[in-house]
Amino acid sequence: MKNEGISNAGRWLLNRRDFLRHGGTGLGGIALSCLLAEQKLIGADKSPVRPAWSPEHPNAPRKPHFTARAKNVVVIFCSGACAHLETWDYKPELIKRHGQPMPGQDKLITFQGENGNLTRPHWEFKPRGKSGKMISDLLPNLAGLADDLCFIHSMTAKSNTHGPAENQMGTGFVLDGFPSVGSWVSYALGTENQDLPVFVAIPDPRGVPQVGPNHWNAAFLPPVFQGTPFNADKPIPNLETPNSISPGAESGSRDFLRFLNDRHLAKHPGDSELLARISSYELAAKMQLSAAEVSEFSKESKATLELYGVNDSNKLKAGFAKNCLLARRLVERGVRFVQLFNGAYAMGEGVGNWDGHKTLKEQYEVHAPILDQPCAALLKDMKARGLMEETLVVWVTEFGRMPTFQKGANGRDHNPHGFTVWMTGAGVKKGFSHGATDEFGYKAVDKITTIYDLHATILHILGIDHERLSFYHNGIERRLTDVHGKVITDLLV
Amino acid sequence: MVLIPYLFAAAAWGQKNESEKISTSAVLIDFTTDIQPLLKDHCVKCHGANKQKGGFRLDEKIAALKGGENHAPAIKPGNSAESPLIQFVSGTVPDMKMPPEDSSLSPEQIGLLRSWIDQGATWPDDGTREIHWSLKPVSRPAVPSIANRQSQRTNPVDAFIKEKLMEKKLKQSNEADRRTLVRRLFFDLTGLPPTPEEVNAFERNNSPDAYEKLVEKLLASPRHGERWARHWLDVVRFAETTGFEVNTPRANAWPYRDYVIHSFNQDKPYDKFVMEQIAGDVLGEDAATGFLVAGPEDLVKSPDPVLTSNQRADELHDMVSTTASTMLGLTVGCARCHNHKFDPIPQTDYFAMKAVFEGVRHGERKLKTADSEKREQELSRHRLRLAEIDASIEELEPLAQAAYIRTNELRAPVNSRRNVERFVPLPVKRLRFTIVETTDAEPCLDELEIYSAEEKPRNVALSAVGTKALASGVYPNSDIHRLEHINDGRHGNNRSWISNERGKGWVELEFPDLVTVGRIIWGRDREGKFSDRLATGYRIEVAQGSNDWKTVATSADRQPHKPGAKEQAAVNISGLKPEQAAQLTRLLAERKEHESRIAALSRDSLFYGGIFTGSPGPTYRLHRGDPMQNREIISVGALGVIPVKFEKPSPAGGVVIPEKLTEDQQSRLALANWITDPANPLMARVMVNRLWQYHFGDGLVNTPSDFGANGARPTHPELLDWLAAEFMAPTAKTAQPWSIKHIHRLIVNSTTYRQSSAMRKDGFDADAGSRLLWRFPPRRLEAEPIRDAILSVSGRLDLKMGGPGFSFFEPNDNYVRVYAAKKDFGPETFRRMIYGTVVRQRPDGVFGVFDCPDGGQIAPKRTRSTTPLQALNLLNSGFIMQQATFFAGRLEKETGSDVGGRIRRAFALTFQRPPDRAEMQMAAKLIREQGLTVFCRALLNANEFVYLF
Repeated sequence: MKNEGISNAGRWLLNRRDFLRHGGTGLGGIALSCLLAEQKLIGADKSPVRPAWSPEHPNAPRKPHFTARAKNVVVIFCSGACAHLETWDYKPELIKRHGQPMPGQDKLITFQGENGNLTRPHWEFKPRGKSGKMISDLLPNLAGLADDLCFIHSMTAKSNTHGPAENQMGTGFVLDGFPSVGSWVSYALGTENQDLPVFVAIPDPRGVPQVGPNHWNAAFLPPVFQGTPFNADKPIPNLETPNSISPGAESGSRDFLRFLNDRHLAKHPGDSELLARISSYELAAKMQLSAAEVSEFSKESKATLELYGVNDSNKLKAGFAKNCLLARRLVERGVRFVQLFNGAYAMGEGVGNWDGHKTLKEQYEVHAPILDQPCAALLKDMKARGLMEETLVVWVTEFGRMPTFQKGANGRDHNPHGFTVWMTGAGVKKGFSHGATDEFGYKAVDKITTIYDLHATILHILGIDHERLSFYHNGIERRLTDVHGKVITDLLV
Repeated sequence: MVLIPYLFAAAAWGQKNESEKISTSAVLIDFTTDIQPLLKDHCVKCHGANKQKGGFRLDEKIAALKGGENHAPAIKPGNSAESPLIQFVSGTVPDMKMPPEDSSLSPEQIGLLRSWIDQGATWPDDGTREIHWSLKPVSRPAVPSIANRQSQRTNPVDAFIKEKLMEKKLKQSNEADRRTLVRRLFFDLTGLPPTPEEVNAFERNNSPDAYEKLVEKLLASPRHGERWARHWLDVVRFAETTGFEVNTPRANAWPYRDYVIHSFNQDKPYDKFVMEQIAGDVLGEDAATGFLVAGPEDLVKSPDPVLTSNQRADELHDMVSTTASTMLGLTVGCARCHNHKFDPIPQTDYFAMKAVFEGVRHGERKLKTADSEKREQELSRHRLRLAEIDASIEELEPLAQAAYIRTNELRAPVNSRRNVERFVPLPVKRLRFTIVETTDAEPCLDELEIYSAEEKPRNVALSAVGTKALASGVYPNSDIHRLEHINDGRHGNNRSWISNERGKGWVELEFPDLVTVGRIIWGRDREGKFSDRLATGYRIEVAQGSNDWKTVATSADRQPHKPGAKEQAAVNISGLKPEQAAQLTRLLAERKEHESRIAALSRDSLFYGGIFTGSPGPTYRLHRGDPMQNREIISVGALGVIPVKFEKPSPAGGVVIPEKLTEDQQSRLALANWITDPANPLMARVMVNRLWQYHFGDGLVNTPSDFGANGARPTHPELLDWLAAEFMAPTAKTAQPWSIKHIHRLIVNSTTYRQSSAMRKDGFDADAGSRLLWRFPPRRLEAEPIRDAILSVSGRLDLKMGGPGFSFFEPNDNYVRVYAAKKDFGPETFRRMIYGTVVRQRPDGVFGVFDCPDGGQIAPKRTRSTTPLQALNLLNSGFIMQQATFFAGRLEKETGSDVGGRIRRAFALTFQRPPDRAEMQMAAKLIREQGLTVFCRALLNANEFVYLF
């Protein structure tokens, strides 16, 4: 068999065109109808479009609905709700009225209970770059990149609890069981690099965020579109051939397996699922090489390693730095969607993440250095390598925090009514700010923006109409944005 | 239409007499072609299913002819001029021009309306909306006669299938070979492969009913319920953790799984099965109500009332939508915020169903079982003895030092479970417990017990004896932290008081009479689940009159509480005489025994089946589904679109005595009756379709939990109805109504099912998806049968049935649970996969990628994907390597040293067939060069092993 140079399966793969032609009523038909649907896209037709994916090549690249501004996405998620008022949202009135009750909000009850008085940020805000954007000293490296960032200061969330709010940021819905943004994007676009997963989630060195896998689950989308979680320390599970299997044993068993499968296929010609399964073993073998290569940093220059802080004495910072470098390497190799997590929940409230309820200052002094240099390095490095031309980077957190301190504590409670996220890279304006919260940073008041809008905008930048990208599940053509969402055209270039 | 110009003229003149004259002489207007589209285009946006401005709708006959809140009726048949509808559309009433704004009807359109009304406003019945196919009554269609011509078997299933095939000029395929059939039947009916011996026996059995006998054997096997219960658990989103942020395990959710397995095994009539899941507490099947609360629940509670209401609304939404999608195949959940967009389900129906579940809360309750009473007796014996022991231990407890503190005699530090305060007894009328310092947050007390100084001390704090409680404040908006919980005699966080202030708060109890007390017991959580919010600084004062407070105990003479330290012992031995110390040690040991026995007895009897509030509060319709926007009260009910009356159970209701039922139970029983009424066409249709789907891979209706307008149409509507009719009222004398196994038999005994799955060009060209069943559609096995088959082949499958499951994850007790996939699997995990504890969001690390649902939403139909990660897991995971090793060991043990024998045995176990010569050679070569385990690992990865043909 081996000597014939090409396996039965290989021949079947080559003949796939013929196969599809013969089966014209099946997949070909679907493809055609989708193509037709896509051509109508410019009009007002908002009928659902289900991407023409095939089980044989689920991740084959697919065309967007219209010309894309970006090809790839990196989402940086700060778990625990990073306080906008300590970082990106400058509120002079809050500083001025420090220690006074928030007007009109007497006895306000939020997530953990009663609130105390307005409290000024712990870090000084200064003008940055040419834009003069006011950003605090908490994240000095990121602040230095202000001229590249595009802020949305009027973001709002539907829930003030981590679980549902993370669900919403990650999947569009506050409930469990909905597909993640990355799964939708994988489903819509596939990938250009078949040797790596189409969608990678990089958990923080400290663990996963509150709703963990919901951030990368495919839910009711076909599981092939779910994110593959791994980071610089923890490779893809079961990626490596076990030690007890020698290279000879591995190739011997693969040959034997192909032999068995080819004979089986010969008895069942035309059953494409069998073929797909044979090729999935070939893809797995390629992935073993590529996924190992992408996590291997020995060819990175010393300057690059230093830029990120990969060898920093702060182990957590070094761990996150490695993850940031991994993110760049994944994007470089054509991975469509990368999620980079900063913070985890397993260590408890505020200890391992940005959930600063009780001792915000002490906790943020720990978390900020872990995020700041590595994340800024990722942006600089991607820009220097030209990756930003085709990559959209989105920095998010599940909601904001209060302008007041909690009664009897030195931290801020949850606040979904107004907070900041930012974008940078392909498709968005630089040094730009959209929307605003009120004078204390409590509620979004100008150009109020929802997570639906954010998701609609991400899809739009990728060339996808969020109102049309659809998957049928139990009675509904489901969308990432449910029945909501407006593209924030203001910030598009 | 010929009359258009004529009407145009009439409308333009706007003359009443003229228009009357014209319309009566005009050609008859047709409602469906002339009027309905016009109403649809211009009126129903505001007067239709989604909005009914002025309470008026024009999309349904009855509502339209009845009229709105004002001006009713708006249509006066025979008199267009007097009809408000015409007055409004023609703009003759100021401020009431319809449609509003610029979009007036054209004169032609107004003319059409006038004429239609003057001709009598004929609105054909049902012309409002064609009744959707699934809502029509189930009728038993005649079986096509073609069955008998070609086949000896007269199975109606085949007749319907063949009729459709003939329309496409297709024939069925030949019967599959025996080996294929036995494998198919085993996997389909039991989820396990046949043993080589079972294959041989079947192949050799020449009796004409060998196949049917095998079917009977497999349907009677306990393995059958384990296979089919898994399908059901997908449909009802069963999982054993809470989901959301903390994803806490529900250790006692498994009785529901056992109930489902048992029900399938005993062929419980489906109507009974459905009823029990909604009202099992009334029907003697307690565990069945696990269905109601099998969905996610957000455990992260907050004093924020908006959040609390949203969480509760989401819980009830899950119950409503899952009940409807499971039992009715309708997406009632879509009507939470507005009337259903596609199906005739108004928002009020959603809330009527919600009202039915208003009394259901997530949580554990006592499972009534056969030995419940015995258990209860044993429990009370242990509890009695425990109380005696505690009393003896407390005799040894040092008195609290209220005045001068002798630092060498400090009492034990406070602990979160149980603290005793003893003082010289004195008569009191009031007692105050003031907290001045806590470990963190607002202080919590789960119960304050105050004992009288009598020979048989009584807890005089109980509200049941008339003692009143007062507090500095209470944690806002919480159901579980309330002042009345401080003295309700019940323990644990869920029945506790929490102050509204961080680090402080007080509770005061006033006794009905002066009573002599000398001992107080308090704790933060006697159940031991929580140790935060612990009072570390406190004082206890008593008063006889109104203001003569006297301190009797404080925290000042306790050793300091060490934050973060492991819970300290509740009793302090230091300072006791040796004989007292010995006695104490003995008592403590005995106490521990009783405690663990109590824990074991109570753990076994608790199950996650929901907690029922007998008389729940009213249900409001929520505007746009927003819990902050209550509208009118909605009473319990079901869907108007199904012609079955929703009735509270009547006094003559058989086994159940309705007078003894709570309001909540009556409502749920009424819904159960309503759903299972044979006049409801959906329940039977939906279930037979599910059964069909799991046999053939696709249902007759391809959207198994959506039989609404947006769902798929049946490929074989007559067959679906015939099966539904047969399900409800079987013609076969041997079958009982609602027998699931009867439907299984009909399906798997058919020639349709027994066909070969070989590819055929004519079939593929006409019907690539094999939906018409010109062959048996092959498919990859699901995760569970793959894992079970691996264990079965390796010889390690543990067939222990029932009880708590095993875990795929490393143990962890973090507040936000961390689920790290196990790398090493012990024999406790070698049970069938259905017994693997289902973690929401986190399917098993090895087999989860084979399309296991994540438990977040219902999964009425699994996807069937093929990914490289599946390949990596089946090649490289520790589990596979371990099982390949076991498999090799088994071969060595069973076949001696002959390589040929080992290969034959291995093929028989995995593929149910002997190897051919080429396979033999290749296998021998691999074994010779790389060893038996490598060969076994390869077999477990073969397509032939994981595909069903």
